[in-house]
Amino acid sequence: MLKNYFVTAFRNLARNKSFLLINVAGLTIGIASCLLIFLVIRFELSFDDYHAKKDRIYRVTTVFDRSGGLDYSSGVSVPVAQALRVDYPQLEVANMMSRGNDMITVLEDGKPVKKFRELKGVFFTEPQVFKIFDNKWLAGDPATAITDPFTAALSRSLAVKYFGSWQQAVGKSIVYEKSQPIKITGVFEDVPENSDYPFGVVISQSSNRSLMTNTDWQSTTSDQNCIIVLPENMSAAQFNNMLIAFRKKHAPESSTTLTKISYHLQPLNEIHFDERFGTYNERTFSKELIRGLALIAAFLLIIACVNFINLSTAQAVNRSKEVGIRKVLGGTRRQLVFQFMGETFIITFIAACLATVVTWLMLPFLSDLMEVSITPGAGQIPQLLLFLVAVIVCVTFLSGFYPALILSGFNPISALKSKLSAKSIGGLSLRRVLVVLQFGIAQVLIIATLVVISQMNFFRSTSLGFNQQAVLNIPLPADSVSHSKRNIVRERLMQQPGISNVSYSFSAPADFGAWSSDFNFDHSPVPINFEPSLKWADTGYFSTYGLQMVAGRPYIESDTTREFVVNETLVRKLGLKSPEEALGKEINFWDGRIVAPIVGVVKDFHSNSLKDEMNPVVMGTRERSYRMISVRIDMSKSKELLAKIEKIWNESFPDYVYEYQFMDEKIRNFYRQENQLSQLYKVFAGIAIFISCLGLYGLVSFMAVQRTKEVGIRKVLGASAANIIYLFSKEFTLLISISFLIAAPLAYYFMRDWLNKFVFRIDMGIWFFVVSIAGSLCIAWITVGYRAAKAAFANPVNSLRNE
Amino acid sequence: MINITNLEKVYRTDEVETIALNKLSIEIKKGEFVAVMGPSGCGKSTLLNILGLLDDPDAGSFVFNGTEIAKYNERQRAELRKHNIGFVFQSFNLIDELTVFENVELPLIYTGVKASERKQKVDEVLEKVQIMHRRNHYPQQLSGGQQQRVAVARAVVNNPKLILADEPTGNLDSSNGNEVMELLTNLNEQGTTIIMVTHSEHDARYSHRIIRMLDGQTVTENILI
Ligand SMILES: Nc1ncnc2c1ncn2[C@@H]1O[C@H](COP(=O)(O)OP(=O)(O)OP(=O)(O)O)[C@@H](O)[C@H]1O
Ligand SMILES: [Mg+2]
Repeated sequence: MLKNYFVTAFRNLARNKSFLLINVAGLTIGIASCLLIFLVIRFELSFDDYHAKKDRIYRVTTVFDRSGGLDYSSGVSVPVAQALRVDYPQLEVANMMSRGNDMITVLEDGKPVKKFRELKGVFFTEPQVFKIFDNKWLAGDPATAITDPFTAALSRSLAVKYFGSWQQAVGKSIVYEKSQPIKITGVFEDVPENSDYPFGVVISQSSNRSLMTNTDWQSTTSDQNCIIVLPENMSAAQFNNMLIAFRKKHAPESSTTLTKISYHLQPLNEIHFDERFGTYNERTFSKELIRGLALIAAFLLIIACVNFINLSTAQAVNRSKEVGIRKVLGGTRRQLVFQFMGETFIITFIAACLATVVTWLMLPFLSDLMEVSITPGAGQIPQLLLFLVAVIVCVTFLSGFYPALILSGFNPISALKSKLSAKSIGGLSLRRVLVVLQFGIAQVLIIATLVVISQMNFFRSTSLGFNQQAVLNIPLPADSVSHSKRNIVRERLMQQPGISNVSYSFSAPADFGAWSSDFNFDHSPVPINFEPSLKWADTGYFSTYGLQMVAGRPYIESDTTREFVVNETLVRKLGLKSPEEALGKEINFWDGRIVAPIVGVVKDFHSNSLKDEMNPVVMGTRERSYRMISVRIDMSKSKELLAKIEKIWNESFPDYVYEYQFMDEKIRNFYRQENQLSQLYKVFAGIAIFISCLGLYGLVSFMAVQRTKEVGIRKVLGASAANIIYLFSKEFTLLISISFLIAAPLAYYFMRDWLNKFVFRIDMGIWFFVVSIAGSLCIAWITVGYRAAKAAFANPVNSLRNE
Repeated sequence: MINITNLEKVYRTDEVETIALNKLSIEIKKGEFVAVMGPSGCGKSTLLNILGLLDDPDAGSFVFNGTEIAKYNERQRAELRKHNIGFVFQSFNLIDELTVFENVELPLIYTGVKASERKQKVDEVLEKVQIMHRRNHYPQQLSGGQQQRVAVARAVVNNPKLILADEPTGNLDSSNGNEVMELLTNLNEQGTTIIMVTHSEHDARYSHRIIRMLDGQTVTENILI
């Protein structure tokens, strides 16, 4: 029996090659997209899910209740960890601090031989950390490796990078920034890519004096993570309650505190998905995004299934005779359903095999786009196969069941009399509904893509209020020797033809990671109720970045803070009527540690991305806080200048590693995730349109064959080719218009939500919708027109004789 | 073998009612060869469809081998049909995607005969209808007469007790037609009951009895032997 089904199925498929091709192509692309999205989602969901104690691991986070709202930090004040250990001895607690962009010098026989700048992975932490997270150790003992000051463990690949092979690493030494030599006491296997704790160089916390002596319960850095393991019998809610008393005990609130601080446990399995807190990878992947992607995958699969249903039911007429005969010969409906489902299965199976190949080929591109390697390891193969089987079963049922029901339901007498026409077997209205569904989905995706792309363009083209072009950002080492060379370096740089400005500052006008603090204004006893961003910079900053004054003047050059400049937003937030009113008023930071008058008000510029609000800003000179050099260069000479600058820098700061970034590049990085999203949308919207058109082409081809005779007669009676094409496209035009009416409000609703996440955003103008409907219609017309034209230009004599 | 009394069949389409069979009563004995004749539209095919259990009557009784089956549902009819009845159609109705052998094999598959046994049975009937040499051809590669012989082979491969033939020679020239009629006569001689609808007096003469119909009723019966 099975053999007979397969024989019929294969011969049938072979006879309808175009049908097969369209279905397999559509399903292949649909399934491949699904697989790729599955891989992405699987990767993101797998973050830190491999630790044995994962269900009991929590991060202690800090929530600041300010009058303006809640602020979240992934870190806690440094003394929290030690206090937790003392108060709750039943906990395993690890205090860890990560620093990015650190310089590691490799020592050979006590002499520096190599320098590396590590962008991430350098941690100061306590030995308990290896009891909390699972790391496989290659050398050394995790329990004791980093108990002593100036000891460190390395990941395998860093050990290889520093010392040639990991076996040779133990016993050797490295230097962190300008520390004393740190001895390597252990090597552990590289942390998998799906971990938000990417240990590379793990240095004992006792090596870091400032961490060890810190007793400040008020300030917090997000880099200071405190990880705990709850005992088996304690729930997070219970411990959260205990944390309230804990905070009260160690840092009682005074009546004048404006910011209320509380601690909350964040389960390990939420760390990767909560944008409010962030991770050491500087990347989170919201659950919302995962849902969005899953939805897109489902959509693409549905679109492909719709093709299948449409083509099979349209084709059903051709198979009515076979159904009739089989029934007369004793085939039951159940057997026939089984047979047709089997055929669907064969097609799906072929498509799934091809899709696996396509997925494999596309993986590198997707990994590139997502900036992570999502290639599955051997361990994930069973999971992947299971998913593939599930997809095959789903697709077989989704696309096969309805056509099988239709086909098997034929009355054998009418089927044999060939009384069945495409109309009478039903499914026509269903086909219409499905085409509407298909193009509805495609158009939602088109509109979404247009909106995302426009918002990206808006991000890219909107001025941040300063001149971001042609400015190079390079680091200024923090030590005092380097700082003493500032003037010489500036002079040497300025001598180069093509360099017009050089400036020292704490950060760029818009930068990652801000320094913010409140202050007392105009002799008021209470501090202001917001925290402006602090921009320490020399006078050259104004000209380098083209900042404009709206009142007063820039501050005069000085090594300490003698004058302040603030921005318009700050003036407004202080409740002053005009910028002039702010001039001469006094700003007092940190109980008089820095006190100086405001001498100017600068025109507003964005001190972070356009996603966020315009921040209030205070600017002043403060030499010891400068960390970067901004150099404005003539871009036509950029190549020689870049080389010159590097040479000067290396000669001036021989102990450090040179790096540079263009200001506009840095700004582009603000929108990295949005940019990825827009790329993904572009690809998937394209795929949706393509599969839909494939289906449309199939349907029209089928119609054309069915109506060959009608077309012939019409032509004999004088219809023009245009008339014929119109005949075919009329219906689809209507269907696509209906799908637009459904898609437009949906897309509007979703995208308005998305745009609302950004403070500065585009308006969702009418043109998105016009382009979407016009584009869909054009593509559909081209598809339909091409096939219809073939029918229309055929010689009517031929088509009539064939009947 | 077959006893129908007061059988009625009415087709209703868009407010037009066609009475295809009007209180029709017929008895057919085991081993008979009956021809049904009558003008176009008098209800011959309708009768044959009901006799072949492809369609159900609106009223009346239908006793098949002593069992009342007028109220059987589709599954029961299919079960009865595949073991007892073979069909031959005017338009052959072979499945184009299957070879001659596979077409003939089909009824055996549906009745659950084992593969080895199937091969033997199919070869046997193909031999009988003298189409053995074409067993691996597809229907389109055969002449009309050959196709109808395949259809006959398919109808008898299960050893049905009853063969229903609706104008089996309608699409054939006279010599091909005669060949098919000889085949049916042979089958009848071996004990198979045959009911055949035909427009041709010539073909009707192969039968034992001619039932003449008009407007859904029998008008006369001619006994030939
Ligand atoms: N499915 C149907 N729907 C409506 N009316 C039908 C249907 N099938 C048959 N009829 C009508 O029932 C009557 C009997 O039809 P039937 O096919 O049995 O005639 P017939 O005797 O076989 O004719 P012919 O010699 O042309 O094959 C006719 O009037 C026909 O129009
Ligand atoms: Mg008839």
